[in-house]
Amino acid sequence: MILNETIETTPQQRRPGIFGWLLMTPMILWLVAFVVVPTAILLVYSFCQRDELGQVVYHFSWENYRRIFIDSDTGHFGTVYWTITLRSVIYAAFTTGVCLLLGYPVAWFIGRAPERRRNLLLTLVMIPFWTSFLVRTYAWITILSTDGLLNSFLQYTHLISEPFEMLYTPGAVVLGLIYNYLPFFILPVYGSIEKLDGSLIEASFDLGAGPLRTFQRVILPLTWPGIVAGILIVFIPAIGMFGITQLMGGGIKPTIGEVIQNQFLQARDWPFGAALGMTLVILFAAVYWFTARRQQTV
Amino acid sequence: MPQEVIDGFTKETGIKVSVENYASNEEMLAKLLAGGAHYDLIQPSEYTTEALIKAGKLEELNLANIPNIKNLAPEFTKLPHDPEGKYSVPWMAGSVGIVVNTAKVKTPVKGYGDLFDGTHKKRIVVLNDNREIVSWALSFLDHSVNDITPETLQQCKPVLEKWLPQVKVYDSDSPKTELLNGDVDLGIVWSGEAAILYKKNKKFQYILPSEHAHRFIDSLAIPKGAANKENAEKFINYILRPEVSVKISDAFPYTNPNAEARKLLTKAQLANPASYPPGDPKLETFSDIGKTAKDIDKLVTDLKGQ
Repeated sequence: MILNETIETTPQQRRPGIFGWLLMTPMILWLVAFVVVPTAILLVYSFCQRDELGQVVYHFSWENYRRIFIDSDTGHFGTVYWTITLRSVIYAAFTTGVCLLLGYPVAWFIGRAPERRRNLLLTLVMIPFWTSFLVRTYAWITILSTDGLLNSFLQYTHLISEPFEMLYTPGAVVLGLIYNYLPFFILPVYGSIEKLDGSLIEASFDLGAGPLRTFQRVILPLTWPGIVAGILIVFIPAIGMFGITQLMGGGIKPTIGEVIQNQFLQARDWPFGAALGMTLVILFAAVYWFTARRQQTV
Repeated sequence: MPQEVIDGFTKETGIKVSVENYASNEEMLAKLLAGGAHYDLIQPSEYTTEALIKAGKLEELNLANIPNIKNLAPEFTKLPHDPEGKYSVPWMAGSVGIVVNTAKVKTPVKGYGDLFDGTHKKRIVVLNDNREIVSWALSFLDHSVNDITPETLQQCKPVLEKWLPQVKVYDSDSPKTELLNGDVDLGIVWSGEAAILYKKNKKFQYILPSEHAHRFIDSLAIPKGAANKENAEKFINYILRPEVSVKISDAFPYTNPNAEARKLLTKAQLANPASYPPGDPKLETFSDIGKTAKDIDKLVTDLKGQ
């Protein structure tokens, strides 16, 4: 732990001057316009009701939150929305775990490659972003469907006799999520690996540490900020994702993202959708606050 | 709406048309009522038309500008959702029924009961539309599709509890894809989707459920305060021309409510049982259900989410 503290570079605690504030203005405006204001609107809506046509009626009510927490049929605490959220969190956690296992070595390989090859490798990671994620998800459907490319190939080569049911399963949902989020994990981790000073690793070896110990005591702590950034960038959006999960999962076991989207479009119950959204935001904030506090006390 | 039809209208009148598509009535309503965009023309289905008329959100049409309305078949005028035909003009109709891939399914499927008898587990695609889903259970229980009360919904619950786990995919946008890809062998789909499947391969048979079936009627209507009402009426009139209406049938093989246009259809088009079901089936339409939509949403979400 001593090692940890000496390496950690704490930013200079200084109050920003006028010039600093001026530089930050676009960022602050952006945050206010696209984060603070929409969240405030959600908060207001979440206490409203809907009319016959699905328009928002400004009539204060706790009803939407009650519907999230208390089952109206049985009167018990705990509803289907909890089950759905838990399922989404499990999907997201699994996705993040696989991204960590697959993404870290890839980021390491790119970050330690000769400098002129790094850009080429990074471009390869980014190429999928040149087309919409929807198009790429449809491509997966073509590959995985019962009469799709993969099954046809496996049957043609006599590896299987009957087609595999791959699409519209939880496995397909997680595959879609991993495929889409992996680059988001690789990039921040790559950033911290690229900055890693090779002489520190050499020093560790010179002082008698083996590869595992060097990784544990030197490499991992130094690349930790990148890993945390990667986890946050993958885990949180993956919980709320609806497009991929709907297309690859067939809507059988909806994720919380699908349920919220459904409230805004099909059910046209914006207040309830807003209440679900607000609950998720508070959940994320609580998790973030908890982990931040723990990091400080360690 | 086929691009060809829109281009033809622009070419003839010089009026530019910008089109925005939506996946469902509910999505259209969300966009319309959010007020972000100003539309001159919308395409709601019957129950949405009814709700919009009730809420005073539609302009009364100036029928003098729409002389071609005489081309509509009599059964598509003075409909329950717009009894005087003052606000909306039907341009496309269809039903919701069962498609069976007869190459894979050898037992006869006549209605919802056969479809969900347990022998087709995980071989079924259905529309991802909560009101539709509940309406099938209502029909199965011999209720009207519009008889939505806490009691009837309570009766639907055990039925759907048995049915929904047998579904493999929910898809409203293009359920034909799963049937074509071989992911499923049966489906409850829009008749137009079934008609396209039948055209591709006769093994895809369309059946109107023996219990009850319902039909939808998509209309053209002008939202309140539209900036270009007269142009919108010109467009409606243009769509009602037989030779234009036929092009819509070519692209989307639903039931064409335009009697004059039907005369121009090919024999094969008229013989497609999904587009023009044989006999004279009794079909119900949806009416506006207002706030009960919430109860339907809760019922289906509870069952799907478990």
